[in-house]
Amino acid sequence: MRAPAWLVPLLVVASAAGGVAGARLAVAPSLVREYAAPGAPGAPADAAALRTSVLVVKGVMCVDTAERAARQLDGLAGVRRLEAFASRARLEVTYDPSLADAAVLREAIEAPVHEEATGEYLFGLYEVVEMDGVKIAFAEEEEE
Amino acid sequence: MKRLRLAFQLAVIAAAITAGVRFALGRSFVSVETYCPFGGLETAYSFFTRRQFSCSAGETNVALFVALLALTIVARKAFCGWVCPVGAVLEWEAKLARRLFGRRDFGGLWRLPARADRALKIGLRLAVLAVILAATWKTGELVFRGYDPYYILFSAHGHDVRGWSYAVLGGVLLLGLALPLAWCKYLCPLGIVLWPVSRAGALRLARSTRHCSGCGACDRACPQALPISDVAEVRSGECTLCLECTAACPSPQALELAWPRVGSACAPAGAKT
Repeated sequence: MRAPAWLVPLLVVASAAGGVAGARLAVAPSLVREYAAPGAPGAPADAAALRTSVLVVKGVMCVDTAERAARQLDGLAGVRRLEAFASRARLEVTYDPSLADAAVLREAIEAPVHEEATGEYLFGLYEVVEMDGVKIAFAEEEEE
Repeated sequence: MKRLRLAFQLAVIAAAITAGVRFALGRSFVSVETYCPFGGLETAYSFFTRRQFSCSAGETNVALFVALLALTIVARKAFCGWVCPVGAVLEWEAKLARRLFGRRDFGGLWRLPARADRALKIGLRLAVLAVILAATWKTGELVFRGYDPYYILFSAHGHDVRGWSYAVLGGVLLLGLALPLAWCKYLCPLGIVLWPVSRAGALRLARSTRHCSGCGACDRACPQALPISDVAEVRSGECTLCLECTAACPSPQALELAWPRVGSACAPAGAKT
């Protein structure tokens, strides 16, 4: 049975659109890091009391760079869990809001990175450009 | 339809260049890798075993890979002929080489014997695929990145692109002058993944023996150098449904896009397809 030639480009467009839309169904992190086991000292008993902030971080490009950014939060009071989505440079950090907030997270992530192999500190490796849907550059420009 | 396909190819290339440059300038966090369906396969092991992605691969890669399989089931390797920017560049190179060397078809300067051609198309691409997947799944890194013509061409000197990456790209382009679309035919790992699916693809080019004059214009126009005038239906896993053959055919009804006839899913033994 004859098929119209325009069917080929139509199918190409449909599959591309389907692929982009389908990306919303396959969401999974590149990296998951737990900072404190449930019940550990300092962990709130009620998980509902925790808060999750979404940070878009320039410098997070792959699992390695996400892992390094995650290490920046080691030992930070209140931080419980991190999920990194490297393909979108996004970190979702869950923390106890009574001990930390998004600004503290930003400060820790942007702090100089200690390179264990050389003992040197690397400056400007990460830059938080968006916090909880607010673009930092825009917010800071408005403040000025 | 030729102009429409060219518009598709140019649009994809423009989008890839824009994405690569924007990422390189720090204006976007979405790199060209995000839109590579092969990345979906590379990260599949990590995704299905640990629900985590490898390196910079993400959900868009996986979703595009699944969408690509769905497209291939219906429209063969239409992705290669209509979307893939590397395929487009290499096809244009093949057209240039055809003019430079005064050839009438896409057979190239080197004509491989049919057996060697088939063995390389399957064996070499399978070997490339196996090495890439094994290394990626073992290390969790997209190890192919530095060798990938797509990434080298469109990432604007992205991460992992080194001097030898350009040497690899140059080698691919040089090889393409002698063996048109050599990368696609003999090295592309995505091509071998799609090949069995494409062979079973529903849409095919059907040749009417009643209307066909046997002039061979379709054979000469096919970038994949498929022997279209020898078969009743083009069921090759390499057909990209680029429709160059139908555009070149002087008889309007001799070569048409068609759905499979009922009961013709499998070719009879010995039949040329």
